[in-house]
Amino acid sequence: MLKELVTPQNANVFVGKLGDILYKAVDQPLGMAINWGRMWSLWPVHIETACCSVEFGAASSPRYDVERFGIIEAFGSLRQCDLVVVQGTITRKMAPRLRLVYDQMPEPKYVIAMGACAITGGLYFDSYNVLPGIDGILPVDVYVPGCPPRPETLIQGCMLLQEKIKRMKAR
Amino acid sequence: MAEQVIPTKKMPPGLQVENVDDRIMTLNVGPQHPGSGHMRIIVKIDGDYIVDADPDPGYVHRGEEKMAESRNYITNIPHLERPVIHDSCNILYPYVLGVEDLVGIEVPERAKYVRVIAAELNRCIYIQYWLAIYGIFLGHSTMFMWPAGDRELLIDLMEKITGARVTHAYFIPGGVRNDVPANFEDVCLRQVNYFEKRIKEYADIFYDNPILKARTEDTGVLSREDAIRLGTTGSVLRASGVDYDLRIKEPYDVYDELDVHTNVLKAGDSYARSKIPWLDMLESCNIIRQALEKMPKSGSIRTKLKPNPKGREDEVYRRVESGRGSAGCHIISRGKPEPYRLKLSVSSFRNLIALPYLLKGEKLGNMPAVYWSLNYWPVEADR
Repeated sequence: MLKELVTPQNANVFVGKLGDILYKAVDQPLGMAINWGRMWSLWPVHIETACCSVEFGAASSPRYDVERFGIIEAFGSLRQCDLVVVQGTITRKMAPRLRLVYDQMPEPKYVIAMGACAITGGLYFDSYNVLPGIDGILPVDVYVPGCPPRPETLIQGCMLLQEKIKRMKAR
Repeated sequence: MAEQVIPTKKMPPGLQVENVDDRIMTLNVGPQHPGSGHMRIIVKIDGDYIVDADPDPGYVHRGEEKMAESRNYITNIPHLERPVIHDSCNILYPYVLGVEDLVGIEVPERAKYVRVIAAELNRCIYIQYWLAIYGIFLGHSTMFMWPAGDRELLIDLMEKITGARVTHAYFIPGGVRNDVPANFEDVCLRQVNYFEKRIKEYADIFYDNPILKARTEDTGVLSREDAIRLGTTGSVLRASGVDYDLRIKEPYDVYDELDVHTNVLKAGDSYARSKIPWLDMLESCNIIRQALEKMPKSGSIRTKLKPNPKGREDEVYRRVESGRGSAGCHIISRGKPEPYRLKLSVSSFRNLIALPYLLKGEKLGNMPAVYWSLNYWPVEADR
């Protein structure tokens, strides 16, 4: 009977349905475990867009040591990353590149907008080459205010993101 | 051979794949790369050797100079320090000196010394960050951790003086924004002495390290003639054997009353370029100690300005020795509270000009070491 139902034409549909059923059965119990895994191993992309990168660097220095919160200073590939910390001003030249970087990352991915420039354009609100915030190009999870934010503020932002991931539905 | 097939999907300008030669390959490094900085270098490589390198700056061009035309002389201060936030005192210095010339005010003696101390502390903070990233570029993680940790000592000190971690906005036309705290001399002397002791240890772990020497010696050699011809400044110029330091050649504020020495190395390779800033930091510690000794113990730290000061109709060009080299500021005034035109002449951009010449014929693996040894901060070059 199964042989009649599943033809080469609609095999994909059945595999997909089967996947959905499996997903639902596994999602509820494993969701918490998946989220737990995700929140303690956030790999930021090493993309530095403006001067807030100084404080991002300071956050991974020995005094602030952001690694104890599971935010790992990344030197790896984009394909391993799941967090973009947009470190400050995004100019018209940088915006397509930032989007390209974001698109290359695998799901799930999170965005932290760091600094006043990334949130609203900040000090450069009337500059001809600066985007008024990155909301137009990326979906932002957490906004970290400051110009530049202190490393403590950045760490607090990361902890807020972890809190958010913890309460998210695991997909 | 058939035509090279170029991806049909429309890419943003500048990201298209170029036609590839049989032998020469084009490689885009950046703007996302595992070093530091939003910098793109288009390198053409033949095997492992770089045939041609074309730096593509401008990813952080924020139009500082245009913005300055619509803000008055005081409100220009916060955004003009943003190009190099961790060297904010030195990048503001030429602007403040220029505005003082235009408005015509005298700076109190004590303020001049406080400025020198703040500028030298900031130079150390800048170089420590630069050194930390240089460690990252060479895969030397300890050299990231040590300077990034020791840097916090001086940041604490600057925070005590100015109230901010990195963006101080401390220099204003007429002096400095606020006075130093009560026991500043003792605290500063103690911190600087400890800091000097710490940075001397870098020689053991970094500069005498045979691996570092093997990677940086005789790479990216810039001869004395080329350094002058290409218009490099600061540590790059001094690493090529040219004794040129604006603190001595064109002393501003009280640098002529202090005993300043410059450090000159003859080699002109990446190793010399990476060593000069470290020697500069040791020299900065000496300058701070001298300035603390000679500083008047009490007195005014600021000449009060009228609100919305107007500059006379003139143009000025002032320059100072920043952490990277000479930082200049050209202001044209038409008798209004805002500058008519403001031009920042920054050393990062001048040093970047030397990059294509240095990379030609180098191995690709040496590119990070050569690139960052130019004492380059992308945000400053783009302004």
